[in-house]
Amino acid sequence: MKILVCITNVPDTTAKITFAESDTKLNKTGIQFIIGPYDDYALARAVELKEQNGGTVTVLNVGEAEGEPQIRKALAIGADDAIRVNAEPTDSYFVASQIAHIAQQNNYDLILMGRESIDFNSGVVHGLVGEMLGIPSFSPVMKLDIEGSTAKFAREIDGGKEYMEAPLPLVFGCQEPIADWKIPNMRGIMTARTKPLQVVEPVAVDDMAINEKYTQPAAKGECKMIPVEDVEKLVTLLRTEAKVL
Amino acid sequence: MAVKTFSRDHLHFVLYEVLGMEEVTAHEYFNGHSRETFDMILEAATELAEEYLQPAYRAVDREEPQLSDGQVKVHPLVHKFYHAYTESGLMAATFPNEWDGQQLPRTIAAAVQFILSSANNSFVMFTDLVKGVANVLLQFGSEEQKALYLPKLLSGQWAATMCLTESQAGSSLSDITTMAVPAGEAAYHIKGQKIFISAGDQDITENIIHLVLARIEGAPAGVKGISLFIVPKNRPGADGKLVPNGVESIGIYHKMGQKATPAMHLEFGGSGTCVGYLLGEANRGLQYMFQLMNSARLEVGLAGVSVASLAYCTSLQYARERVQGRRADAKDPNTPPAPIIQHPDVRRMLLIQKAFTEGTLALILQCYKYLDLLKVSEGPQKQHYLDLLELLTPVAKTYGSEEGNRSVYQALQVLGGYGYTTDFPVEQIARDARIFPVYEGTTGIQSIALLGRQIPQNNAQAVDLWSEQVMPDIQVALESEALQLYADQLNQSIEAWKSVTGLLLRIREERGNEAYLANATLYMQLFGILNVAWQWLRMATVAEKALSGSTVTTERKDFYHSKIQTMKFFYNYELTKCKVLCEQLTSEEQLSVYNPEAEILI
Ligand SMILES: Cc1cc2nc3c(=O)[nH]c(=O)nc-3n(C[C@H](O)[C@H](O)[C@H](O)COP(=O)(O)OP(=O)(O)OC[C@H]3O[C@@H](n4cnc5c(N)ncnc54)[C@H](O)[C@@H]3O)c2cc1C
Ligand SMILES: Cc1cc2nc3c(=O)[nH]c(=O)nc-3n(C[C@H](O)[C@H](O)[C@H](O)COP(=O)(O)OP(=O)(O)OC[C@H]3O[C@@H](n4cnc5c(N)ncnc54)[C@H](O)[C@@H]3O)c2cc1C
Repeated sequence: MKILVCITNVPDTTAKITFAESDTKLNKTGIQFIIGPYDDYALARAVELKEQNGGTVTVLNVGEAEGEPQIRKALAIGADDAIRVNAEPTDSYFVASQIAHIAQQNNYDLILMGRESIDFNSGVVHGLVGEMLGIPSFSPVMKLDIEGSTAKFAREIDGGKEYMEAPLPLVFGCQEPIADWKIPNMRGIMTARTKPLQVVEPVAVDDMAINEKYTQPAAKGECKMIPVEDVEKLVTLLRTEAKVL
Repeated sequence: MAVKTFSRDHLHFVLYEVLGMEEVTAHEYFNGHSRETFDMILEAATELAEEYLQPAYRAVDREEPQLSDGQVKVHPLVHKFYHAYTESGLMAATFPNEWDGQQLPRTIAAAVQFILSSANNSFVMFTDLVKGVANVLLQFGSEEQKALYLPKLLSGQWAATMCLTESQAGSSLSDITTMAVPAGEAAYHIKGQKIFISAGDQDITENIIHLVLARIEGAPAGVKGISLFIVPKNRPGADGKLVPNGVESIGIYHKMGQKATPAMHLEFGGSGTCVGYLLGEANRGLQYMFQLMNSARLEVGLAGVSVASLAYCTSLQYARERVQGRRADAKDPNTPPAPIIQHPDVRRMLLIQKAFTEGTLALILQCYKYLDLLKVSEGPQKQHYLDLLELLTPVAKTYGSEEGNRSVYQALQVLGGYGYTTDFPVEQIARDARIFPVYEGTTGIQSIALLGRQIPQNNAQAVDLWSEQVMPDIQVALESEALQLYADQLNQSIEAWKSVTGLLLRIREERGNEAYLANATLYMQLFGILNVAWQWLRMATVAEKALSGSTVTTERKDFYHSKIQTMKFFYNYELTKCKVLCEQLTSEEQLSVYNPEAEILI
């Protein structure tokens, strides 16, 4: 079985976000980048599926060279090889087009990625990729098993879970608890250095979106602590101050 | 959510800009590594810390290990960590490839340790002891012993302890009485009790390998009659199955801190037969054990820095958020209260912590780098690193422990009344930290070792050895306009230290050891400050040079500037203490020396 796992590079959740170039770009200096946490789950499940069923796991990142440490980390966690499409990921359509292009050349049985990235949180790339490849896509998938050429999986829906089966190939947007979070071990780290990482140039795609301006969300208001025994005061405040009741 | 327990920027600065790890990776033994692998390993350690250590910090303090029916049960979160740690491969990381290790430099392993310990210091004893014991076995064990024990230890399947202390023999190991009676083929029957044995029993691993100091029947008195034995909790029986080996848990101590790790009172050969296997040669046990202890001493110093780092991060965050009072020049009572980080007194307390944590981390990592270079050196070069380590290990242990406690004390004070409550972790940090000046040789004992042994031996050669390390760094700093003043200050303090050392050595000649060693702990303080001042000068030099580069970003400028200012703080507030210490050390009155004719402690 051939599995493709698509990973994004996102700022660490504790990073202090500021903007550059008249607020049209993220200021990357001093920011620690990580693999998108949902992508990490997708990767972890891919590695588990490989351990159970054999096959290969390829990681794919659309991004610039500075993201290679995250790709190496994915290799350390257990992917066999990696492809980096050498381009700044400008919008979801662009990223999906690059993924679809790579997938068309390689016939993957499964294409896994996170349900969404945690920087732009669009959550549409898996759908776009499915559409571009003409294969079904599902998200957010929280359980996934493979039996022969069939995937059995569970997807989160409003108020519950939906259990489904579908024949491969498929595209999945994943989330916890699809797999145990994996921390690379020493052996993985040492072998990651020599695993193949192929850099390819992007295919041309029309710009579908332009970033005009970023702004910070409004600062959070002060937190008021109300003792447990003072429920009435809480209700009054929710009515008169917060005006949510 | 994970909270910050250390500065990644500072750690990287020390490893890559100050220490220069390329000097280590240039050696064939280490050349499988590079900054790329180091960064991945440090990140993996951070994830382990965030996932398994941080969330458990408070819980394991509240629920101590329990001893019932002769078996200790430790907290389930310790089990989880232990398994995650062994799966990470960190147990064997620094070991040679042939033992399934990755030949990771000790310096990087120490950085990993710092990260883990800053998240939760009371867990790491379970894993550290295993690595320490495996190292002793690797160096001194027979091929058979290595083949039997190393794979089990390095995979974490079996754990290990070090058993030195007895009720009448704590600091003075020459007084141990545990006996070993020959029972054929390098086997002995062990009889005696050991106390305070960390991780001496637990329910995580199927077996525990105790390294026990004992006397073979008829051995000479004192340290020359002490041997080292491998004593498994369960010994492999004829069919290969493990059978109990007469090691019993007869008591568990209730400690003020580090509660995740049980400190055990163990009895060997009390009711059943306890078999021990001689490690190395008879009567050389203490020498072997020192291998383990030297490494453990660096670890204790590092632990002092780690918990101080946690306390510093906690109090820094608190000081940014807590508003109280107004700045001293704010006249209008309607001025909103200021965050306490703006009050000079609070800043002073934070700077003490920053200067200690960052400076001592640099010193201890420098020692680990010597260990790495020792590993790949031969002949006189090897002896050079050995001498440096002999000299600096007690300093790293003691300065890290003592000043680590002082640093945590500052954090407590920054938190005001809240620091004294269990709402914040600093009270626990303070309790955890208190053990460092005691185990692995108390501050008093380390100081006596420094002044009584390391300094005087070979015509006080250590003084020159150390100066030769430091002087080139002073020379470089003297050439910088911005640092000249501080380089001068350090130079003068070193001169003062040298002359005090000379004076003390004369006292030794004239009045004997007791007078000479009476203030060994003060001498240790003095030498500790000089060492950390040296590290600060090195760091400031690197920062100064980087600042003059053309490509440095604004964030980086702030970072380097902060290094130079913290160096100045250390020189103003700590290095200046050398003067007083020198005065105290040369005081004629010698008030602390025991005089049975005129006892003053009445
Ligand atoms: C939590 C904990 C974990 C421990 N873990 C282990 C372990 O895993 N294995 C192990 O073997 N031991 C362990 N120990 C024991 C530890 O190493 C000893 O407590 C330590 O060596 C001090 O010995 P002591 O407690 O008997 O104190 P003492 O030796 O009685 O010392 C008391 C005081 O007297 C001073 N003193 C003693 N002798 C002299 C001297 N000659 N000159 C000047 N001052 C002197 C000391 O500096 C100290 O301040 C542990 C202890 C604790 C508390
Ligand atoms: C066990 C306990 C019992 C107590 N009992 C009582 C009681 O019976 N009655 C009662 O009324 N209170 C009581 N208190 C409260 C106690 O008096 C306060 O905790 C203390 O006054 C410090 O105030 P704080 O905790 O708000 O710290 P903060 O005022 O927030 O101080 C935090 C840190 O900032 C520093 N700081 C604050 N302002 C300035 C400034 N302007 N310039 C320089 N530094 C500054 C402080 O020195 C401290 O280091 C108790 C507290 C405890 C922990």
